[in-house]
Amino acid sequence: MKKLTRREFNKVLGGSALMMTMGLPGKLLAANSKLNILCWEGYNTDDVLGPFRKLHPGTKVQAESGTSDPDMINKLRAGEIRVWDLINVNQPWARNQLFPEKLIKPLNKEKFLPYFEKMSPEFAKPYPWAFSENADLIGMPQRYGPFSFVVNTDKISRKTAEEVGWELFLDPKMKKRYGVLTYDNWNIIHMCITAGLNPFEKLDGVGMAKFKITAKQIFAGSKLLSDDLVAMNTALINGEIDAYFTGGTYTASPARLDGLTNIRAITPKRGPIDGKGGVAWIELTSLVNNPTPSPLAEDFLEFVQKPEICKAVGFSEGTYNPVAQMGSKAVFKLWNKEELDAIQWDSLTEEMERCLEYDQVASYDDLIKIYSAAKRS
Amino acid sequence: MNAREQRLGICSSLPLSALLLLTFIAPLLAIAAFSIMPAKVFTLAHIPDFSAYAEFVREGYWKSLAWSLGMAAVATGLLLVICWPLAYAMVRIFKRFTLIITLLVVMTLFVSENIRLFGWVITLMKGGLFEGYMHSWTGIGFDGLLYNVPVIIFGLVYIYLPFMLFPLTQGISMIPDDARYAAADMGANRWQIFKEVELPLAAPGIVVGSLLTFVLAAGAVAESKLLGGQAVIVISDDVESAFTYGQNWPLGSALAMVLIMVISVLIVVTLMKVDLDKVMGKVK
Repeated sequence: MKKLTRREFNKVLGGSALMMTMGLPGKLLAANSKLNILCWEGYNTDDVLGPFRKLHPGTKVQAESGTSDPDMINKLRAGEIRVWDLINVNQPWARNQLFPEKLIKPLNKEKFLPYFEKMSPEFAKPYPWAFSENADLIGMPQRYGPFSFVVNTDKISRKTAEEVGWELFLDPKMKKRYGVLTYDNWNIIHMCITAGLNPFEKLDGVGMAKFKITAKQIFAGSKLLSDDLVAMNTALINGEIDAYFTGGTYTASPARLDGLTNIRAITPKRGPIDGKGGVAWIELTSLVNNPTPSPLAEDFLEFVQKPEICKAVGFSEGTYNPVAQMGSKAVFKLWNKEELDAIQWDSLTEEMERCLEYDQVASYDDLIKIYSAAKRS
Repeated sequence: MNAREQRLGICSSLPLSALLLLTFIAPLLAIAAFSIMPAKVFTLAHIPDFSAYAEFVREGYWKSLAWSLGMAAVATGLLLVICWPLAYAMVRIFKRFTLIITLLVVMTLFVSENIRLFGWVITLMKGGLFEGYMHSWTGIGFDGLLYNVPVIIFGLVYIYLPFMLFPLTQGISMIPDDARYAAADMGANRWQIFKEVELPLAAPGIVVGSLLTFVLAAGAVAESKLLGGQAVIVISDDVESAFTYGQNWPLGSALAMVLIMVISVLIVVTLMKVDLDKVMGKVK
């Protein structure tokens, strides 16, 4: 074998350096062609990102899944507005926090309003929460679902759970038979409703006192607390608990798709706010007010309206959810019987009708203090 | 090394030292600065009012701190008792087998803490490995072993075992055999040798291992969440909630600062009381 001389080595080194330098402008160009998405799980899967990457070779498409709405919003507030091009959060956060703080910007109405016409009836109007108070279009809806509580129907029938509603968790017989899924912002809403209060209106001293008693009672009666829906479903399946406070099709669907259809999300038939006792979430995907935005951000929002991508978003790993685009036959036909059963399609419309919109809690600052103290006690 | 070389050395290390200082100290300074800001602000351009510290006392966050410190202290004590005989055997008895134990313990560190804890969840839960097999073999079932304080402490002991074991092994290896033989020759019994010779000579390992495990366990959150079902709320959980659902960065920062300060004071007091040089036999 011929020995490599120092001169030859230097030649190779110099040539490589030259090639790297020549390739650099191309690389810089590629770096400019990027798309960064901050989202709930689903949009970050290969089933969604893979086809988009194929459509845009040379573009660096990245998505990061958040663990909660406020966690994702913290990232933008902490300066990551320069990093992300799209953000996907639940409806009140976009209108009440992100848009007023100029963390997101309006969408092109001409381009996006026509998509609402193909959505399910409740979104086709179009959906009011997709707009700011001054009527700017601030995000596109896709996944949604009712979110109240979950039971094991082998232990508590669907009929009983729907009739009794939130008072189920105040029944002394339920002590140590339920868990609390610690999605704190949701729990505050649900504990208000359990106490017969409207969380979306400012509460007075009497209301606060009622909330405090209810929060303490619910935490005291719970067997376990967890922010992990898998842990909560597991406890429900193995019989350690019979129900969990705060949950919906989003949390029950993984167990249901595995054939455990006795795990069911419940929306109470009655409640203290205009007779309604359930609450629904609707995700909105918005354009981040990035000073150097990706030219592909709006393209991606259009891309996820395609039927097969709607299915991929709705049936991503982890949780399974209906999407607003299922109003279109082309999208709906992609779901099979088991998948429709997993998302409780049979009762989805009536459950959504029994739901209030997930809104900003008017006395949140005071209630989170009471809630946190009750959780610690 | 002459003075010029020394100066050049210092100058060369300046950029990296500055970078390290900035990356280690800057986040802490940011947390300290946020902790004195008024509630619910997201920038430092406000007049400090220390209200977050008042909230720590008023809203009972000290309970979470007490649980964290208490469980960390119990876990540290248990680890000391569990690891001493194992470390002793690794140094004095196991010989080649010591390497295998070391590798096995180190290998656990390559697996994420959450995954290891989930392993225990499926072992201890109702219908899990313990209860499931027992129920299947004997017909006797029970309610699972999760969601209580003892199982959180078990989790802390399990996760932080390597952080006690290795310093302790190091400490025990510093005990000269001659000292033990001499004590025995002088008529000391096994207990006296342990108390008067081995324990003082292994003190550096005990102190380092105890501090490491205590500090890590005091800031731990996964054991309480995954195994304990948040049977008690630990201070790190409160910090996380304040930053996320509470959207109250000053409160989260104040809770973090209180934990940092309490642990720092405990470390300083411990190190002041234990003279490492003295116990290591160094002459001042």
